[in-house]
Amino acid sequence: MSEQSLVSDGPILGKDDPVLRAEGLEKRFGGLVATDDASIEVERGTITGLIGPNGAGKSTLFNLVSGFYEPDAGYVSVNGVDVTGRKPHQIADQGMIRTFQTPRKPEGMTVREALLVGPHNQTGESIIPLFTSPDTVEQEERRSLEQAQEMLERFEIGDLATQPATDLSGGQMKLVELARGMMAEPDLLLLDEPVAGVNPVLADKLAGFIEELNEEGITFLIIEHDMNFIMRLADPIIVLNQGSVLVEGPPEAVRSDERVIDAYLGGPSE
Amino acid sequence: MSTLDVGTYSPREKGVVGLLGVLGALLLLAVVTGFLAPAYLLYLVGLSAMYMLLSMGLNVQWGYGGMINFSVAAFFGLGAYGTALLTASGSPISGGVSPVVALFGGLGLAAVLAVIIGYPTLKLRDDYLAIASLGLAEVVRIFILNESQWTAGSAGLTGIPLFFSDWPVLGDLTYPYVFYAGGTPVFNMSQSVVTSFLNVVLVSVIVAAVYLFLRRIHQSPWGRVLRTIRTDEDLAETLGKNTFAFKMQAFVIGSLIMALAGVFYSHLVLFVSPQDLQPITTFYVWVAVILGGTGSDRGAMLGGFTIVAIQQGTRFLTDTGALPIGAAPLRLMLVGLLIIFIVRLRPEGILPPERELIWPDSLGGGRDE
Repeated sequence: MSEQSLVSDGPILGKDDPVLRAEGLEKRFGGLVATDDASIEVERGTITGLIGPNGAGKSTLFNLVSGFYEPDAGYVSVNGVDVTGRKPHQIADQGMIRTFQTPRKPEGMTVREALLVGPHNQTGESIIPLFTSPDTVEQEERRSLEQAQEMLERFEIGDLATQPATDLSGGQMKLVELARGMMAEPDLLLLDEPVAGVNPVLADKLAGFIEELNEEGITFLIIEHDMNFIMRLADPIIVLNQGSVLVEGPPEAVRSDERVIDAYLGGPSE
Repeated sequence: MSTLDVGTYSPREKGVVGLLGVLGALLLLAVVTGFLAPAYLLYLVGLSAMYMLLSMGLNVQWGYGGMINFSVAAFFGLGAYGTALLTASGSPISGGVSPVVALFGGLGLAAVLAVIIGYPTLKLRDDYLAIASLGLAEVVRIFILNESQWTAGSAGLTGIPLFFSDWPVLGDLTYPYVFYAGGTPVFNMSQSVVTSFLNVVLVSVIVAAVYLFLRRIHQSPWGRVLRTIRTDEDLAETLGKNTFAFKMQAFVIGSLIMALAGVFYSHLVLFVSPQDLQPITTFYVWVAVILGGTGSDRGAMLGGFTIVAIQQGTRFLTDTGALPIGAAPLRLMLVGLLIIFIVRLRPEGILPPERELIWPDSLGGGRDE
């Protein structure tokens, strides 16, 4: 089988220009090993897929690299900066923004206000400049508002701008999350199940947006259970099983790899 | 300043303004007919303003940032005791310091305590601050009660000067005279109306300044980050916000405003005792914020006012003899009833935030509400 040879046993490491590198990540919850020596690299400019059966450790891995969990062992770097053990906000500052499986929706805000939280290091986030240099704050706020409006229109939800951020359908929320993530001008966006619970038409649209953003230089790492979605979008695909990387390779090869099929069907994996 | 365009006010805002207008007219009528002494009315205004400050302070912590602070009374008490210990003639440690300087003493105490209690708890989940602050309030009160060599203990501190007492012109206008019975101040009608009026001017300036300050920070990106933290701290973190720093700032600002209320209280009543630090004060302030509309500074002020109206209104009811029993025991029941009504009819409070909080002017053309 020629396809089979394209699939690497374990992760492919030593990529030219990885935005995200994780090495030997280990996380235990009591006696349960959630990730065990997991290593991944996300090459700049790619859309990398992260799949695996339930309980494989995908979300744990996301939480480890984004700083929500502290790894018991291992190393994480973003854009070449060691961020192991840093706080989530410090990691976000390095250019990696994540979304959550269940969309987070700020209460008491309109959609555009929720988007305005996105940009990093706003002058108006410190109290003193609010009084000493209100003009700078105003200009930045104006710029952010324009940017927010552009984002909303780009994702075809411009009409939602002044709607309460909590009154949205599941699909709209996913779009708002993507837009808010983009407001932070990330190098790498981690998406945790972006099309879970989203209707197929909107899922298609979302895939289109992700491809567009990718062409503009945003790197993606996406967890997704919807195989059609992820196979169409991502290359390479990393398969996680029992807390570590089983294989990595191009989608069509991974799809037919026996080890992957076994892992999903609960066959022998040792 | 923003232009007053009545057309942009919502029905509930108009309703509240109307109600306050009627109440104001009634109070004025009471004064004109001699039913209410002018000095007493001014004293009530001062007391309301104090509750407004406390409510606004808690609103910064709970309304903006979702932090549960059960030690409102402690921060209030530190402000009150801070200034009293420095200025009062009856102070066991110092006394005689100018109230303007002592003001910063009270604020400083509150800020230090806010950082000490905030540092370990604000890194944890919300509940820990709630638990720690619940204990803190009692620790502060019992400390003041027992360490009488520094605080005069249960006897309380007397001889606190009026805020303007050492000011060139204003000081000469004031006649500090308050009558005490059994350690509690009995309001004395002979206290000069001028004095009360000066207090009202002072507190009005403070309330206005605090309100304008809060309005600006609430409508800013800073306020927006806090509101994000309130619903979802993780979300704020993933967007690169140092949530601990934001919460700490809000916690200290809120505590300072509470201490400011305490400072003012000392120079209004001219007597402080550990009684003033009872947990009931904290409870009243929480009710005020929830009644008014969590997250709204105007709501907090309205809530503070309502609390004083209930406290003093029941006293007034007793005086008229309209009830066969004293009305004071009914106070808590009235408060309880009011809460039930509000929760049933307006779960979000009387004056909840209704508009987008975006930096003013940056929206360009008129707002589209």
